[in-house]
Amino acid sequence: MTKAATLLAAEEGYNPLLPHTYELVVGIFAFAVVAFFLIKVLVPRIQKTLAERTDAIEGGIKRAEEAQAEAQALQQQYRDRLAEARHEAARLREEAREQAAQIKAELREEAQAEARRLIEAAHAQIEADRQAAFASLRNEIGRLSTDLASRIVGESLEDEVRQRRTVDRFLDELENTAAVR
Amino acid sequence: MNALTVLAADTPGEFGAPTPESLFVFEPIIPGVAWFTKPVLLAILSSVIVLGFCWAAFAKPKIVPRGVQNVAEYGYMFVRDQVARPFLGKDADRWMGLLLTMFFLVLVWNLMGVVPFIQFPVASHIAFPVVLAVTIYILKVYLGVKHQGAIGYFKNMMFPPGLPKPIYFLLAPIEFLSNMIIAPFTHAVRLFANMFAGHMLLAFFSMVGFWFLFEKLTPLGAPIGVLGVVMTIVFTGFEMFIQFLQAFLFAMLAAMYIGGALHAEH
Amino acid sequence: MSEEKKRRPEDDGQDFANAAWSIPSYLLSGMAIYGGAGWLLDRWLGTSALFPIGVVVGVALAVYLVYRKYGR
Repeated sequence: MTKAATLLAAEEGYNPLLPHTYELVVGIFAFAVVAFFLIKVLVPRIQKTLAERTDAIEGGIKRAEEAQAEAQALQQQYRDRLAEARHEAARLREEAREQAAQIKAELREEAQAEARRLIEAAHAQIEADRQAAFASLRNEIGRLSTDLASRIVGESLEDEVRQRRTVDRFLDELENTAAVR
Repeated sequence: MNALTVLAADTPGEFGAPTPESLFVFEPIIPGVAWFTKPVLLAILSSVIVLGFCWAAFAKPKIVPRGVQNVAEYGYMFVRDQVARPFLGKDADRWMGLLLTMFFLVLVWNLMGVVPFIQFPVASHIAFPVVLAVTIYILKVYLGVKHQGAIGYFKNMMFPPGLPKPIYFLLAPIEFLSNMIIAPFTHAVRLFANMFAGHMLLAFFSMVGFWFLFEKLTPLGAPIGVLGVVMTIVFTGFEMFIQFLQAFLFAMLAAMYIGGALHAEH
Repeated sequence: MSEEKKRRPEDDGQDFANAAWSIPSYLLSGMAIYGGAGWLLDRWLGTSALFPIGVVVGVALAVYLVYRKYGR
């Protein structure tokens, strides 16, 4: 069989650069059919799928990025709030401390003032009492002395003026002796 | 159907290298149906394979790929990122169908050369590369005229800006011949010649192995036969690389020509 | 050459590949055209030197073209 072909080819002079007509025709059909289905049907389908896949992947990435950004924003927010709260607490503490110090100082002042006032009142009372006591004592002593003197002398010292003078003199003498002693 | 053994038997007792006629000329598979030869059958089979493969992969594509879709997507990504995008940029997606067809079809055509029992690279018959190259050539000229205008297209091609005026007269013929005749010619011939030569080489080594180990086993010839078998295996691997590379280059040149037609060279 | 146009990211790869795939094509074209012209002139004038000169000139022009287009 091959021998026949070889002989045939040798007779015709085989030229590999000359295309056979029927091979050209079959080649055109073989190519056209494949090209038609790939161009019209199959490649558009896979391109659509690839586009969808890209979308899906990009969508996934985008969603993840969004979620991450949100989480970060939230974290930042929390951090800010925490810092704010801390700051606030420190401020309040400081304020409380200042207020406490102020209250303490005020109380101390008030107490001291009160004490001073009490002491002064006591002093005044004592002085007044002393004066009163002194005045009543003086009257009493005067009356007693006159009584005593009249009884001793036996005479009534009716004359008011004279009587007072005598009493005063007597009292001065008394005071002087007391002072001397 | 093994041409090599039959050929070897033609001249008993003497080793003869395979001739192109013995390797590339086929009788009709069904006697009387002249057009239905092995290359034609393989071309049809290749189309069926590519179509079936792409249908299985892309007919109902999933967002999360599985099995055959994974493999086909790998091919798609390769063509898109290595072939279409570098030359077409934002237009890449519009031409992916054509480029993917070319890449897969040429790849399957070529790989037929190393599939056991088939062992014939379809593209080693020049008619098949010619069909694809002519398609691209027509498309290139059509797109060039459409996007740059008939006059603009040839003016941009033959009179690239930035050259001294008198030189144009000398260079324009070179540009024309290079772009309009040599480029499409080499587009087809590069693929054809690679497959043709690769097939000859593989046939030669496998024939050496077969001849010296099975037909005429002698103590002196046995090492040569072993060498032939080893070389057949090595070159089969090498051929697979070349077959892939040529499919890639063919699609890449197609993308380059389309890109050049869409935008004037600068 | 159109510096005012914005360069797209794919331009670099495109330039490189264009150059890589155009150079052999240009060289071949240069040789074919000017070599061919030389050969025809040779036949017409009965000389024999114009064909090799044409080939050399064609290659030189192709190299110059490639240099101006992709060299910078």
